[in-house]
Amino acid sequence: MVDIKKVTKLLSEVVDPSRVSDKDFDLIPYSRDLSPAKQKLPSHVVIPETREEIQGIIRIANDEDVPVYVRGGGTSHWDAYLAQEPGIMLDMSKMNKIMEINERDLVATVQPNCTWAKLDRELRKHGLTYLCSEAGGPAMTVGGSIMKAGSGPHSTAKFGFHGNQDVVTLEMVLPNGDVVQTGSAAWPSAGKFERQCLGPDLAGMFIGAEGILGICTELSIRIRPTTDIQERLMATMPTLDSVIEFGHFINRHVGDEYLQGIYLWVDPTAPEVFTLMMDIFGYEEEIVNHRREKLIAKVKELGGELGDRAPADDYFGHILTGLTDLFVTGVWHFFGAGTLRIDDIKFMYDVWKTELIEKRGYTKAGFGGQILPRRWLAFMVTNYREPEEWEELVKMAHGIDEIILDGPVVPYGIGGRDGLRDIVASRDTGYYRLLKTLKKTLDPKNILQRGIFIPEEELL
Amino acid sequence: MRIEQYKDMIYACGRCNYCKGIDFNDRCPEIFTQVWESSTARGRMAIARGILEGQLEYTEELAERIFGCFMCARCQEECKKAAQIDVIAITKAMRADFVDKDIKIPEGGEQMAETTLSSGNIFADTPSIHNHWSEGLEFTEGSGTLFFPGCLASHRFKEKTNILVQVLQAAGYTLDFLGDDQICCGTPLWVTGKVEKAKQWASDYLVKLQARGVKEIITPCPSCFRAFDEEYPELLGLDKFPITVRHTSEVLEKIVVEKKLKFTVPINKKVTYHDPCEIGRYRDIYDPARKIFEALPGVEFVEMTRNRENAFCCGGGGAVKTMFEDHSNTVAKERIQDFILTEADLMTTICPACELNLTHGTYAANIEARVLDVAELMAVAAGLVDKEILDDDYFPND
Repeated sequence: MVDIKKVTKLLSEVVDPSRVSDKDFDLIPYSRDLSPAKQKLPSHVVIPETREEIQGIIRIANDEDVPVYVRGGGTSHWDAYLAQEPGIMLDMSKMNKIMEINERDLVATVQPNCTWAKLDRELRKHGLTYLCSEAGGPAMTVGGSIMKAGSGPHSTAKFGFHGNQDVVTLEMVLPNGDVVQTGSAAWPSAGKFERQCLGPDLAGMFIGAEGILGICTELSIRIRPTTDIQERLMATMPTLDSVIEFGHFINRHVGDEYLQGIYLWVDPTAPEVFTLMMDIFGYEEEIVNHRREKLIAKVKELGGELGDRAPADDYFGHILTGLTDLFVTGVWHFFGAGTLRIDDIKFMYDVWKTELIEKRGYTKAGFGGQILPRRWLAFMVTNYREPEEWEELVKMAHGIDEIILDGPVVPYGIGGRDGLRDIVASRDTGYYRLLKTLKKTLDPKNILQRGIFIPEEELL
Repeated sequence: MRIEQYKDMIYACGRCNYCKGIDFNDRCPEIFTQVWESSTARGRMAIARGILEGQLEYTEELAERIFGCFMCARCQEECKKAAQIDVIAITKAMRADFVDKDIKIPEGGEQMAETTLSSGNIFADTPSIHNHWSEGLEFTEGSGTLFFPGCLASHRFKEKTNILVQVLQAAGYTLDFLGDDQICCGTPLWVTGKVEKAKQWASDYLVKLQARGVKEIITPCPSCFRAFDEEYPELLGLDKFPITVRHTSEVLEKIVVEKKLKFTVPINKKVTYHDPCEIGRYRDIYDPARKIFEALPGVEFVEMTRNRENAFCCGGGGAVKTMFEDHSNTVAKERIQDFILTEADLMTTICPACELNLTHGTYAANIEARVLDVAELMAVAAGLVDKEILDDDYFPND
């Protein structure tokens, strides 16, 4: 049991009291994320402004055995940042500054809650960009994306998951309060320019860990010149096999450079219609046109048809500012999501079509995916009504998750008890055991993100 | 509870956080002042849901989050993209629930409503003081076109209001004015949740206006404009208010378009414009002021970075000024920073509440700059008033 008043008093000694709250109406907005995960209330919410304040909070958490949870934009799809038990919720909103844009080294350093939209707006003033992949809208944060190794429909064809190759350095506060730097920043006299140096790549330990091993307080990422040439394509492919061959074409024959976005969408009302939206990459008109012609030729060769590019323009054009009509037919649930080999997309499609639509009669979920560099991130997504459809949908979706993950699919996002952590724990892989060992070593009291990724009982 | 009628909308919040925006507090003036997620539209929907489900109760402590909303509709503008939640309607319903449940509302709001009920205006002015702005002007009772200045324009901006009427009359409008019979439009009542009292107020006012033969109301105040045009029909269960209501933005634009005045005196100033929330985001009225500036000689118009539907609130909305004055001034100061960045000479707007709050913002930012109504620039350009009113050190006879 958390001694609410005592912890409030202690927190108010390390953070200005105006940024500490234990009021029920201040807590409840932090009890849900974008997913259908059940409501989970923290006992406190604190808005830190510095790493030193976070260190102070961590110290209190360890002393009082109160878990600490971390919240960025609050748009997780899988219960990864909700308080699995009463504890201190860090609202990172105020740690959102752009610390440096290093135009010479093409590195930007930001605080974790800087949004992609804010960073992009600033970078473009310098003729630079990052090419964020996620489609989470204006509130989506850099730190949130990288700590979950996020991904999405844009630039992933070129660069992969966030953290794949674009993170240069991290600054993390560990569960014992130590502050560590990764990459070249680990050598204080050197600077921020390289991810892999000075021994093992410890950044990789934190990326995708959903905050269980440390709290990110600063990070630097690779940036690149903008390309103002916008060339997009819409195509309808005749079969999933033709989509697969198109994916191989991009990845094998002409290289990952061709596209900065490719998005497959199959609507449940027309499960045999495979729509592709593409955003062609290139710095020069001539190159973009060449790539466009090659892509068009391949679409045609595979029996596809090209359509009006306007939907692709609308989609890729609003990734950072917010896609429209998201919740017109209900709130969202992404499920059946994961990464897989290009050829294996047929497995997921079959699950979607036979298990979801035909056997369960659920016809509201679409099927989509992005051909990442040499692999897919695929998913099913539906709109549903709360509260009436909530319970049944969650149960059904979890059943689909189990089927998917029994196949050739690696889960994307693990989360808490309403996420996929039970499925991951049940596999008891060597990887999982190593992760538990790391967690126990770095966080012996299981303070950080308790119950996220690894069930609490697994760490006893 | 009144929020029950909005249950579907409350449950439609997909928690996408579009409302909060890209820079934590660059959109919502409430989170700019209160920092908590509970200050955002997403947070408010979570609170409303908590109340509907019995997890939370309306309490005096909660009041700051609900009555601290500036009702600027910036969040609602973003939500148009996502879930189309009427955040303002839900906020009004929550405020009304406070009153229905007899939960104490912020003292400044209570006082404002009581003052309105007892004196007929928000400043407790006597009629002669309240009408002082109209000295030297002639009105025509029964003309059918009522000039309705509203409380702020009457009390705080006597000179501006006088100048506005000069412009209208010079353009040929034959205006009626209620004189000693003029009382507040009633906005202080529904904005503080006192819906039942507001219904009676609206009903009585409509009778009075119809008895005087009013066919059209012209008002410079966006709150009064919306009061008659939107709130009264809702309160009285009418499809449409039986009297035409026009905001001065539309009327002044018409004067320019129809060339009712000749603008010959050059302004010779760099001018920016603040979009009032209640005509901008609420009613999509963005263009009139900009078109007027195009017609005025010597106006170099420059936009602030946050403009039109993205405009940041002046801090004067939602009656926050009366309930949490510090919050209001903090927001005004922030908005004045946008003005400073333009390097404009003049800040203009077309709303008395915005003019008041932005003027306070100049004090808070410690700058000398005038906040003018668009009509004042028209009056100068038309030669109706001296150019000195444009000067930073001019002190109006308010």
